[in-house]
Amino acid sequence: MSELNSNYTNYGVYEIDDDFDCIFPKTDVKFRKIGENVFSYFRSDSEDKTIEKMIPTKNNKIRIEIAPIRPLNHPSHRTSYVYLELETPVFLSENSHAKIFARCPIEIGVFLIDGENKNSLDFFTCDPLNSRFGLYGTPESGTLCKYAKSEIVESLDDSIPYKNAVMEINFGNELQGGHSISKVIFPITENSVYYDKSRAIIDSISAVIKKKLTIETIDVSSDKVSTNWTESPTYERKELVKKLNMGVD
Amino acid sequence: MFFEFMQGLDQIEITSGLTLLSLLIGGIIMGVGVLIARTVKLLFTKYYAPKLSQDSAKNLGKLLYFGIIVISFLVFTSTTGVDLSGLLVAGGIFGVVIGFATQSVVSNLISGIFLMIEKPVKQGDSVDLPGLGISGTLLDISTFSARVRQFDGTITRIPNESFFTTNIRSLSSTPVRRSEALVGIAYREDIDGAISVMEKAIRNQMPYALILPKPDFRIKELADSSVNIEVLVWHPREDWDQVSPKLLKVLKNALDEGGIEIPFPQRVVWKAKE
Repeated sequence: MSELNSNYTNYGVYEIDDDFDCIFPKTDVKFRKIGENVFSYFRSDSEDKTIEKMIPTKNNKIRIEIAPIRPLNHPSHRTSYVYLELETPVFLSENSHAKIFARCPIEIGVFLIDGENKNSLDFFTCDPLNSRFGLYGTPESGTLCKYAKSEIVESLDDSIPYKNAVMEINFGNELQGGHSISKVIFPITENSVYYDKSRAIIDSISAVIKKKLTIETIDVSSDKVSTNWTESPTYERKELVKKLNMGVD
Repeated sequence: MFFEFMQGLDQIEITSGLTLLSLLIGGIIMGVGVLIARTVKLLFTKYYAPKLSQDSAKNLGKLLYFGIIVISFLVFTSTTGVDLSGLLVAGGIFGVVIGFATQSVVSNLISGIFLMIEKPVKQGDSVDLPGLGISGTLLDISTFSARVRQFDGTITRIPNESFFTTNIRSLSSTPVRRSEALVGIAYREDIDGAISVMEKAIRNQMPYALILPKPDFRIKELADSSVNIEVLVWHPREDWDQVSPKLLKVLKNALDEGGIEIPFPQRVVWKAKE
């Protein structure tokens, strides 16, 4: 939490009728009123990338929502899976359960609100060095994922603003004998992201080690989190994602 | 009046057994056949083709169209009473001649059928045909040839026989690909230090380079002037152009910034004492 700068713009809905600047870590977003019923959008980030768009409007103001979104779009949308490598592996003894809170990277989405519709205007990441790909499995038949090292934290409130969110992971071990879990791979498109000011959380997941016929696998599934935080709009198009059969280390 | 006109046509004989009336009826049958063939193809394209792969849909559509036309022709010949037996005898001899002449055409046709059955690659795949010196995106495989849009934007038509018999390297059938680069550092430089510098540069400047499997650095050769290090970087299969052409530049800049010498070829000459 020490990295939080109070000048940074909070997530939320903003009504803009004049020039408006948003400041995020290493990223600047500017809305400029450049004429009657016309705004411009400008973004510059730490990778020296700039984006500029014109926004024609029906009246003299626009409504936008700035919200954390799933970490699937930067640098390009290539997968729906996230690979979280736990910095500290979790050991589960025979027939045991454990609940942890782990950090998961996020991106930030800018949405233009038009009545009931929220249209995606732009997305970016404030932590580009941790927005990278990783492969689960072999190069021939593995699954491409967004990869991140995940730190285990104490509660859902421990996210690093604008960089990651916290998710609850419920581990279970239905096998005879203890096992360590050091990574979780799951399709994050089933998990919603929620925000409150500058913090974010993601729907929880369950990872249960079980035996299917003769193979030991980790069965990962998503669960809705109960919260009064605001749910972020969805950035990506909905697509059917196959559930992954994850092996035990 | 109409019947008299028809009777008149029936009496005009073109060849033995073929009257103008039977030719007219045959023409109507062929016309209806073409109409049915077009309608069937249209319905197939609209309702069934979207469920099939583009190649299969295109070829099945052609099969239906020409199948109906052939059936119409057979109906036409049987109703008009045209005797094709003479044509068949002549065709037998002619067929041998045609067979030799169209050997490559038939070979392409058969190869096309096998390509459609075996499906070594599918439409939209990136392929490399080293034997033909062609790389690009496969546009389609049709009856006699395949079309590949090369990475320079040009489209190359390849006869199916060549396509079937050459080595096909699929560039998009695996989720990731690997790009390689070879850099040489001076003998006096610290190898681990150079690797660390390059690793950091790839991590910071190449967003498409995979973290896992991480970039691999192998000492390829203790060469005449330099220690050659091979750098292997994995990336999503679609993003070859974001990694491979930029890799050497990133490595060169990183070594320059790290003060690590990339030596020119050099030779030490010892002058023997007289």
